[in-house]
Amino acid sequence: MTTVHPETLKRRSMLYRKLATEGARFERTDDGAAPASYANANEVACARKMGIADLTTLPRIGFKGKDTPAWLVQHGVKLPGGPNQACLQQDATLVVRLSNDEHLLLDDVEFSGGLVARLASLWAFESDRLCYKLLREHSHFWLLLVGEYASAMLAKVCGVDMQPKQFPFGCVAQTSVARNNAIVVRSLLGTTPAFHLLADSASAEYLWFCLLDAMQEFNGGAVGLEALRALARESNSR
Amino acid sequence: MKLMRCPLNGWRNISEFTYGGEVESMPNPVTDASDVWAEYLFFHQNPAGLVHEWWCHTATSYWFIAERNTVTDEIIKTYPTSELFQKRVDFSQEEST
Repeated sequence: MTTVHPETLKRRSMLYRKLATEGARFERTDDGAAPASYANANEVACARKMGIADLTTLPRIGFKGKDTPAWLVQHGVKLPGGPNQACLQQDATLVVRLSNDEHLLLDDVEFSGGLVARLASLWAFESDRLCYKLLREHSHFWLLLVGEYASAMLAKVCGVDMQPKQFPFGCVAQTSVARNNAIVVRSLLGTTPAFHLLADSASAEYLWFCLLDAMQEFNGGAVGLEALRALARESNSR
Repeated sequence: MKLMRCPLNGWRNISEFTYGGEVESMPNPVTDASDVWAEYLFFHQNPAGLVHEWWCHTATSYWFIAERNTVTDEIIKTYPTSELFQKRVDFSQEEST
């Protein structure tokens, strides 16, 4: 198995040094590296209950402007019904609508979509079209909180009720998490509850610490992409 | 915790919001004198009773307007700015007419 060293790649997570000290083994993403595993035999079991994964270097992109919805539809993107909603595309890319005119696209843990890369290459500035590309991969870090205790853990650090009845799949909250502004998106990994969390890149280490601290009572811990994929497949076949 | 309803994001803790001052009509930059501008920028009406105020939901940088009673500190309603500002103000055109 080839060892991947994040510091030799173009894009690095704001957390990579910290994760390396926690025993992360990295794998290549698009032009960066993400933790594949932490050499923990119980990582899948941990992810099923309460896990936290760094997806910062996975493909994502944002678009903003009055003509953005029309431009995305023109390129075959299915849009969520309104602001603060998200929906899955056929290729498993998650489209998050942050306001009427602002959208965020997140690839899945298998990087199976390619929609993010396709839209990035299709987009070009046109002065008469109000649609602007946002470099979300630079402005935000991206975590996945996964497991049956994820909403209970979030209740400790966030004022929005994220229980499934109040905050079902596809709900989006732009709110305060551990006193930091964050975007939280309710998702699903197979049948296991999951939340995407994106926040300002400068706060990455602080929020990682806060969330790990909050999940201690649920025996939560860091998990890698391999555990997330195993969980997604296992859950799908149930 | 006191709650406020953001027109975009729904009910949130008041700590997620930033106060932005009273809603007032902006003076005309071409025709109004500097004392009108000073009044607009530095002084507030601060009435006892119903006021219209700018508020911002910090997590989304979304500005909106709230109606609040300064005596009871009750937030009566909140609504998007588009309800109040429906067309662009063009001062240079005003001057030429």
